[in-house]
Amino acid sequence: MTRIFHGMPVSEVLNTLRQANGYYITNTARDLSQSDFKNRILLHTDLLAARAREKAGYFSLEITGGASVHVDILRKQVNPFTKLKVLREKMPQTMFQTLCRGVNLFGYRPYPQNVIRFTVREFAKYVDVWRTFDFMNHIENMRPVFEEVAAAEKINEPCICFSTGPEHTNAFYVGKVKEIIAVTGGEIILCIKNHGGLGTPKRIGELVHAIKQSYPDLPIHYHGHNTDGNDVGRITEAVINGATIVDAADFSFTGYYGPPPVLSVIQTLKELGHTAICIDEEAIIETSDAIRDERKHYDQFESQIKGFQPTVQIHKLPGGAMGSSLEQASKGNFLDKMPDILHKELPRVQKELGNWWSVTPGSQILWTTAVSNVLGGERYGNPSGDLRNLLLGKYGPFPFYKPEEWIFEKVLGENWQQILEEEGGIEVIEDMDLAHERYALAEKIGIEPTDQQLVLYLQHPNDAVEFLKFEEQYGQVYVLPPSIFFRQGGFEIGEVLHFQDHNGKEHMIEIGPSPVIDTGETNVYLNVDHHQSIFNFQPEVLGGGQGKAAILSKEEILDLAMAGDMRSPFAGNIVEISVKEGQEILIGDRIAIMEAMKMQTPILSKIDGIVTWISAKAGDSLQPGDKILKVDKNE
Amino acid sequence: MKKKILVANRGEIAIRLIRAIQELDHEAVAVYETPDQRSRHIRIANEAVLLGDGPRCDYLNIDKIIKAAKRSGCCAIHPGYGFLAENPFFAKACETSGLIFIGPSSKTIYDLGNKVIARKIMADAGIPMVPGTENLPQGREGIEKALAFAAQYKYPLMLKATSGGGGRGIRLVESDAQMKAEIPVARAEALAAFNDDSVYLEKVVINPKHVEVQILADQFGHTVHLGTRDCSIQRRNQKLIEIAPSMIQNKELLDEICKTAVKAAKAANYVNAGTVEFLIDHNFNYYFMEINTRVQVEHTVTEMITGIDIVRNQIQLAFGNPLPFSQEDVQIRGHAIEVRINAEDPKNNFMPEGGKKVSVYRSTGGFGVRLDGFVYQGYIIPEVYDSLLVKLTVHGFTWTETVSRLHRCLENFVIAGPKTTIPFYKNIVQDKDFISGSFDTSYLEKHPHLFLYDEDASEAGKLAKLIAEIHYRKRNPFAI
Repeated sequence: MTRIFHGMPVSEVLNTLRQANGYYITNTARDLSQSDFKNRILLHTDLLAARAREKAGYFSLEITGGASVHVDILRKQVNPFTKLKVLREKMPQTMFQTLCRGVNLFGYRPYPQNVIRFTVREFAKYVDVWRTFDFMNHIENMRPVFEEVAAAEKINEPCICFSTGPEHTNAFYVGKVKEIIAVTGGEIILCIKNHGGLGTPKRIGELVHAIKQSYPDLPIHYHGHNTDGNDVGRITEAVINGATIVDAADFSFTGYYGPPPVLSVIQTLKELGHTAICIDEEAIIETSDAIRDERKHYDQFESQIKGFQPTVQIHKLPGGAMGSSLEQASKGNFLDKMPDILHKELPRVQKELGNWWSVTPGSQILWTTAVSNVLGGERYGNPSGDLRNLLLGKYGPFPFYKPEEWIFEKVLGENWQQILEEEGGIEVIEDMDLAHERYALAEKIGIEPTDQQLVLYLQHPNDAVEFLKFEEQYGQVYVLPPSIFFRQGGFEIGEVLHFQDHNGKEHMIEIGPSPVIDTGETNVYLNVDHHQSIFNFQPEVLGGGQGKAAILSKEEILDLAMAGDMRSPFAGNIVEISVKEGQEILIGDRIAIMEAMKMQTPILSKIDGIVTWISAKAGDSLQPGDKILKVDKNE
Repeated sequence: MKKKILVANRGEIAIRLIRAIQELDHEAVAVYETPDQRSRHIRIANEAVLLGDGPRCDYLNIDKIIKAAKRSGCCAIHPGYGFLAENPFFAKACETSGLIFIGPSSKTIYDLGNKVIARKIMADAGIPMVPGTENLPQGREGIEKALAFAAQYKYPLMLKATSGGGGRGIRLVESDAQMKAEIPVARAEALAAFNDDSVYLEKVVINPKHVEVQILADQFGHTVHLGTRDCSIQRRNQKLIEIAPSMIQNKELLDEICKTAVKAAKAANYVNAGTVEFLIDHNFNYYFMEINTRVQVEHTVTEMITGIDIVRNQIQLAFGNPLPFSQEDVQIRGHAIEVRINAEDPKNNFMPEGGKKVSVYRSTGGFGVRLDGFVYQGYIIPEVYDSLLVKLTVHGFTWTETVSRLHRCLENFVIAGPKTTIPFYKNIVQDKDFISGSFDTSYLEKHPHLFLYDEDASEAGKLAKLIAEIHYRKRNPFAI
């Protein structure tokens, strides 16, 4: 029973796994946060859990990657590198694991090779295990990541993305494993990435068995989601058939779409004679006890719809996208259409488009297409740019079969064959001039950026600049607990907030009154470490201008839309304004497409009328209630 | 008898003057320009008179100030430093209007303000001076005189505008060719800046220490000195840090300089408070530089080590009182350091942070700490006046204690909003050359690492700002 720890040479880790008499566990804290809390679990909470998690004896802590890198800087205001450094101080032994989207890294679209390599090199300084996938299982798309991870002497964990259907045979997947090993060599861990929690326990058991038959020395890491409530079953069968590592998460925070509760996995397998290697069950319980009270502060980020979703086997949405899809449906006022979208249109679109894997960014293409098909009326009538790229083969070849010709025609137009001929094929992205990007960033933030700052900038240019400015102004805010950071409705007068800053200094802030003075400005009085401080806020200007408009409620936004004043229903970016001033539109016509996180949502007109005034443009970042355009209602 | 005194200044010095006036049981009348209408000196004064919309022109308007003094029934005017403080015409206008000008006579100000007359007075009195010329004659003759002087004393030389001062109107000349080119330019510049195109030459003392002596003199012929100050730490001739007494480990030299200062003041028939400035080279030669005829920004360090209130004495002397103590009564005790906390970005060539608002202001305190400030929480750094927020002066029994105290105070000081010179000073108080007392006017140039620091602002202040946002917006606008 050997504990695997941070700093252990790759070959030693792999040999330990090969000789393991039992199985190891990865605590998928990042995936839990992404699937069940819209990625909002704060570093503060992870730090509360750190000591007990370290003691628990996990194979690894999956704590970065996926959408978290983006959300860290966008909504949590923490530097993803700082997060890893701070956690490492508290957790010297546990390996850190990431989820990397191959050519898309931690974003939603492909990056140039030199950006991929630079990014992986920087993160590899802190990340021990690299779980890498491609949504088309196109191995070439992962090659640069594999190479950089190997060069950094870290552990490659390539994925085969798993799904169900007649095409998804054991033979197909074993063939994919062969393709991977041809590129990486045998010194890897293989991940079965079951991002939707699809298939039955029996199906997963058979798959693991089949791979093990062909590759007995290949350690298998099973990753699943508990969307249907049955991932413990799949994990059990995976371990029985030879998987060496499985994913689960702290039970006091488990929800409906993420990893299953870790203690249930251990208890189930123990009865069956399988030991969780080096796992300290008391420390696992201790972890959940340490963070349980924090969960209530994340309430606003938990799913709008409670309960497991066994119908995931039909719609196949990945656990990581469930929360954001439902949020979008709720904010876009089409929750009532969800049964249609999820249970009819989505499976239909999947089959039509080739029955590949519903995972980022493919899951977004499927979802956006299905939503647009249902809400827009005409199927494939409003194809997104990503769908177009998919059909052009920019992301890789279709693994099983191509969509039918009428879809190509709908999406690419009448002379689709010619377009396919001219533009089709894997997208080759030119390298970026990194020196130039560094200079551009320096111009924007006013200082010479560090390599890590440049990495963040290359991932998400605008959001990284905003974040770096935020950091300069507000400091290291990860020290704040969710009860402060996510507080809604303001604080109570006299409430005293205690926290330790990142240097370890204790602070105390007492909330004072917030009078509005004669100029309309508000003075917020805070007693900071026994010294009174006043923070002055300019009055908010409604209807544009410098100040931020007050956030409108969902009902108010709908009321305005009914009157022809189209507002943004959620926080996101305008991808496209689909109409022109003076254009006549009907109820249900798409007026704009907005993107929040990775989901594109069409914004539809609620009335018949003429577009009179457009105030938003593509690229604008809007808050709920911000103006998009005005429609003069037909009377 | 209660008297009314007009304070013809703004900023921290206005407050300093008002305090002294009120401690003497007199009344202070403040004046202000419209951009200063929220300023602290107006609240503290017994009365305030609006001079006009300014900016800067009304504080410099002799007529308006004299009228304001007359109308409010003042019998005296204290000019502070800057603005009209060393303008002989202002002193003259006070004299002719029957107002007491708190400072030396207009003639003294005129004589000492003219570098060439001043040099002549000092030369006649046998005060050691940097070799230099008289006003250079116009045209060819002037250039020839200059070249002859250069041949005798060697380059580098300093070409100075006779009416310049405070670091303005001086330029370094290093060759004959440059000399020929620079003289006409310097003249044109001096004419534009000081309305006087006279220039003269001086030998350059390489990397000197800047040491000055505070003197007080009454009209009965008593002149005393209050010891030395070292103002060597400057950037482009603007002082940043001042200490008292000088750290030169040569008591005889310092005593001699102090005696020379008294002699110089007497030679100029000096009355009231003044400062005699010297340059000291590396061989301990000292040279008279000039006499400043005003209260200096850095007068606080002298007050700390002597316990003598210079401004109070200025007022008493101006009212014709004799000095209430003799030289023997002046005791120097310990060390003092003053730093000027300015809303400036040292990294960006000390660019003022005009227009920014002080969102958090938390000052320091404790034993041996003195603050002369103007800033308050909510203060907006004026774009039209200077950027001095507060002067921090510390006093200690030993030099080491004083430096540690300054360090502690700077650590405790929190100013959020504008960038300030605080982090820069923090680097200085930790620099080994500063700690060992060895610095001259080349100090900043030779210590570029002083400009390397992380932008200051306490973590608590920054986090408090986010908490205020969350509270005000009723949600975290950066998290949703």
